[in-house]
Amino acid sequence: MTKDLSTWLDTLLDELQGIEVRRKSSRRIRVDVQPDALPALLELLRGRASYVHLSAISCVDWIEENEFELVYHVWSYEIGSLVSAHTRIARDPGVYISVYDIYTPAAFFERDIHEMFGVFFEGSPDMSKFILTEWDGPPPMRKDFDSEAWVNAHFDFQDYQPDWLKEIEAKGGGVAVRPDEQRFSRRDVDAS
Amino acid sequence: MTELIKTPRTGETLPVKAGKRTNPLANVFDELVRFAQSRSLFMLHYCTGCGAIELPPSMTSRFDMERLGIQPMVSPRQADILLVTGYVSVKTLKRIILTYEQMGSPKYVIGICSCTVNGGMYWQSYATAKKLNDYMPVDIYIAGCMPRPEAVIAGLRELMENIRQGKADSWKDYYRHYDHYLGHQQRLFGETWQTPTDVIAEARHYGLFGPDTLGTHTALLEQHQRPLEALEMKVDIPELMARR
Ligand code: SF4
Repeated sequence: MTKDLSTWLDTLLDELQGIEVRRKSSRRIRVDVQPDALPALLELLRGRASYVHLSAISCVDWIEENEFELVYHVWSYEIGSLVSAHTRIARDPGVYISVYDIYTPAAFFERDIHEMFGVFFEGSPDMSKFILTEWDGPPPMRKDFDSEAWVNAHFDFQDYQPDWLKEIEAKGGGVAVRPDEQRFSRRDVDAS
Repeated sequence: MTELIKTPRTGETLPVKAGKRTNPLANVFDELVRFAQSRSLFMLHYCTGCGAIELPPSMTSRFDMERLGIQPMVSPRQADILLVTGYVSVKTLKRIILTYEQMGSPKYVIGICSCTVNGGMYWQSYATAKKLNDYMPVDIYIAGCMPRPEAVIAGLRELMENIRQGKADSWKDYYRHYDHYLGHQQRLFGETWQTPTDVIAEARHYGLFGPDTLGTHTALLEQHQRPLEALEMKVDIPELMARR
């Protein structure tokens, strides 16, 4: 049964046009596919080859190429293998089709990606805020969002207080055994 | 907001003063009270980050905090210590401030972990607050990533000692310099930020109202103050609603 399915999968992948298949190992397959063919591929994988579990959708911001890469990880319990379908969409305007009708859990992943990267998924049931409900800055996982500048504009840091250390050491706290006094790891060296 | 001030009082509340009183008997009494206070502490552990994992061994049979007279407590109204264990996200910080303001005085704040000191390993993260003592007065920091239960216990003993000597009174600073703390809160949450607790009236109540309690930030607060409303209960799941 399992054997049949995986041979069937191979023929299926061979037959599809415009996709590139790379076998990373016996249980991992990477498929690169054009954005307009991705829903069809997922449909086939789910409906005909038992890849019923959408583990995650991840997003990569390739800012220099001005593209977002979306990776759909689907798992088959019967074959026991993971297919990662990679596709690239234009960074601007960053709109893509939802796969909610194929995999229901996609709603959560798409909502998350929308929040973190600002990619809009057409047809996704809910594109409202998810975790960053109280955040009104730009999508923070985009490469052009400068986290450090934002931090410097909104927070102060504690000043270094060497006196505190002295106080602690006076009470016998702090670093009890200094690294140069720790000879355990160098015992062999000393003996020779 | 002015209700508390308008109500007639039988006698003026005595301003709480640090330092020794002239009557030696009163001194002995004060010391006794402080000793008793330091030996019976209820701790609200607000487990925000990974540092919280060191608390179960500190509290339970292995290191046993209870032998020092420290017990966990689940509600802020009945707790003395607010223990912030680990990184504080901006969202969590709002809840911590709400919790802190609900606690009755005297109250003590302990920041466990490097993350509460200056952001720790999340120093450049947009999501975590860096310096806890910008938003509320902190009595003791226990640094480490994460501090071992021994360090936690040592920090708690230090706090007990400070309470016994009458040095742990940074909670008063929140009332005396409310404008400063509110300013930092507004910098992060926007100028419409408000909490249900009327800190200014409380400052007057405790006799801690000072020249720095009010300022530009509290003026902003008053400008944006909305009357508190009950939270709206809403179930917005179509399938659920259809089944009804
Ligand atoms: S200091 Fe380390 S252990 Fe503590 S909350 Fe931060 S990352 Fe976690």
